[in-house]
Amino acid sequence: MEPRSRTSPRSSPPAPAEVVLAARGITKSYEIGERRLEILHGVDLELHAGELLALVGSSGAGKSTLLHCLGLLDRPDRGTVELLGVSGWDVPLVERARVRNAQVGFVFQFYHLLPELTALENVLLPAMIGESRLTFTGKKKEHRERGAALLERFGLAERMTHRPSQLSGGERQRVAMARALYLDPPLLLADEPTGNLDSATGAAVLELLLEEQRRRRLSMILVTHDEKIAQKCERVVSMKDGRIVGGG
Amino acid sequence: MYRSFLSWRYLVSRPTNLIGICGILVGVGALILILSIMTGFLEESRRTVRGTLSDVIVNPLQGESANGRTISAHPGELLTALRADERVAAATAQLAWAGVITQRDDPEMFQRILADQNNSQLLGAQIVGIDVRGLERLAQPAFAALARSMGGFWPAQPIQDELDASAFLYSLQGDEPGEPWTVAAPNPLFPFASLKSAGSARPKAGVLIGEQLFNQLRMRVGQELELGTVVWDPARDDWQMNNRKFVITGTFRTRDNETDNGRIYLDRRELADFLGQSRRYTQVLVSLKDYERDGARFTLDMRKELAERGLIAAGEDHFGGRQEVRTWEEFRGNLLGAIENERVLMGIMLSLVLVVAGFTIFAILSMMVTEKRRDVGILSALGATPRGIQQLFLMIAFWDALVGGVLGAVIGTWGALEIDAIERWLSRTFGVQIFDRKVYLFDHIPSVVQPLWVGTIVLGAFVCALLFAAIPAWRAARLDPLEALRYE
Ligand SMILES: Nc1ncnc2c1ncn2[C@@H]1O[C@H](COP(=O)(O)OP(=O)(O)OP(=O)(O)O)[C@@H](O)[C@H]1O
Ligand SMILES: [Mg+2]
Repeated sequence: MEPRSRTSPRSSPPAPAEVVLAARGITKSYEIGERRLEILHGVDLELHAGELLALVGSSGAGKSTLLHCLGLLDRPDRGTVELLGVSGWDVPLVERARVRNAQVGFVFQFYHLLPELTALENVLLPAMIGESRLTFTGKKKEHRERGAALLERFGLAERMTHRPSQLSGGERQRVAMARALYLDPPLLLADEPTGNLDSATGAAVLELLLEEQRRRRLSMILVTHDEKIAQKCERVVSMKDGRIVGGG
Repeated sequence: MYRSFLSWRYLVSRPTNLIGICGILVGVGALILILSIMTGFLEESRRTVRGTLSDVIVNPLQGESANGRTISAHPGELLTALRADERVAAATAQLAWAGVITQRDDPEMFQRILADQNNSQLLGAQIVGIDVRGLERLAQPAFAALARSMGGFWPAQPIQDELDASAFLYSLQGDEPGEPWTVAAPNPLFPFASLKSAGSARPKAGVLIGEQLFNQLRMRVGQELELGTVVWDPARDDWQMNNRKFVITGTFRTRDNETDNGRIYLDRRELADFLGQSRRYTQVLVSLKDYERDGARFTLDMRKELAERGLIAAGEDHFGGRQEVRTWEEFRGNLLGAIENERVLMGIMLSLVLVVAGFTIFAILSMMVTEKRRDVGILSALGATPRGIQQLFLMIAFWDALVGGVLGAVIGTWGALEIDAIERWLSRTFGVQIFDRKVYLFDHIPSVVQPLWVGTIVLGAFVCALLFAAIPAWRAARLDPLEALRYE
């Protein structure tokens, strides 16, 4: 299959860039009543270091399902997911949780912030989960400063102590992005991050996200319905009925 | 780190959790309060059951032979043996004999006694002869003062006799605050010193009479009292009726109904004389330095030792001394068993309060887990393990138990210590008598706070809270994170 787009100068030289994420033969099915509904029919996908990949496809094609399998959130029926050389679904549960915590950043369509925490606390949540009480308390000041700096860069300097309910949709998504980036993971998975925002806000938020991706040289998969957004990515992979039909 | 932080945040941001905390608080507080009052009542009842018994009672079978010799009718040797034991604080002989009040000179009173249908016991009295070594007692401070004035020191030597052995005579010393015994006699050091005005050739011996008996018979101090009894006369080989007049020198009150209504104290030698010297003592009363610690052991030791020295019978056909050397608890075994039963039953019933509090926590946490599905999914996506999520919810119960338990313990303990004042205040404010002091024998609501119990109850609250939280926490850990993440 021919990639649809190869506009970025970074990926044009066929340099043997390190493979960050490699998925092979992913299948996934759901049981609905008596019937077994296969959603993914053996998906292969590779993502290189610093690569920005757009995952497109009609609704129900299985994009989110694939993303959850890749992010070690949803166990595939068959197939392997290798993240930085570690086979994510073959290691023990605790190790997998650690990989999710440190190596993968998630950005969801519906933000998914904890309503009881302030913006800053939400951003620090991955560190709270990943670090022991002692370590976190010892670095508390450092954490607060780093979290605040990140929020500031996302234009939320005045919103640190706001609860999610006190923030607009665009602001919430920016907090969620700061949270996903806080531990500086090598892989970022974004599932329609602008799907719930109006086009102007969405464009601004996406611009911020892509800028971070470039700055940090993140490997990123961006699920989107928007043709224009997909055009901005180095590589576009399109899915249909649980199969990759273009760009793989 | 996130577990304690988040659980606390969930707790404070959710007013419903207050219900769980309150449940624990009320449970712990009520348990401590009720158990303290219950313990107070039980201890008070224990005291009532004990009545005027001393720690250990030695009751040799006089006249029987033991270890090749006859058990003496004199208590001297037995007293020496008992006092030699270092666990003994005091030991004294007493002579107790049944008698009747036969007021033949005062027909009016005698008729009143005979006509009393309500209390057939009124006529009978337990006449108890005791040793009151007032002279020695009096000498003690005098010697001490003399020694001090000469720059020396006179150690207070315990006078080991009835004065120390039974609570009654402690009160004669007047240095035992809160002691329920009170004695109204002109001279507490010599309570039986008869008044000179008695006038006859041989001054009549003085007696102290129980307050209730004294009041019901409408007696006066200084009045004569005629007592009658029967004693065995070996010379005639028959029972003999004895009568003698005494002088009432004062009254006493123990708050033990039976005692106050039917006991008369007098000097042991006087009573022995009245009984025709057939008996000089019936029991030896022993007071231990630390009854709780030594009581049981001491009793066993004495059964053996006194039997070896031929001071008690203790043979095969005499129950190995079990009838002769007894702790007061063995004396009143049945009643104490009933009280202990009551306490255990009460404890079991009260534990249900904690179970109810546990159910509250269970309900609230179950609600919370359902409500927090999405959070569980988010935490899971951010790297939390199922075990971590389980601990997060268990921790909420932990905080419930900690806050509720500590507050409950403080409030319960305070309430138990101040229950009397609280009840008075409530009665005054609402005008209803909650605790009718006339119904009980106590003039206050008794309550005893036992730190061990408080600790156990708080611990119980923790166990209960965590146990009931285990199910919702386990459910939270098993939630499918995706279920929560996929949709808004
Ligand atoms: N838990 C589930 N049980 C049953 N079917 C499911 C479940 N989750 C997803 N599906 C089905 O799997 C298919 C793919 O879903 P998925 O969410 O991956 O699609 P998508 O490509 O992300 O669509 P969209 O663009 O609308 O987000 C859908 O048909 C959906 O109905
Ligand atoms: Mg989707």
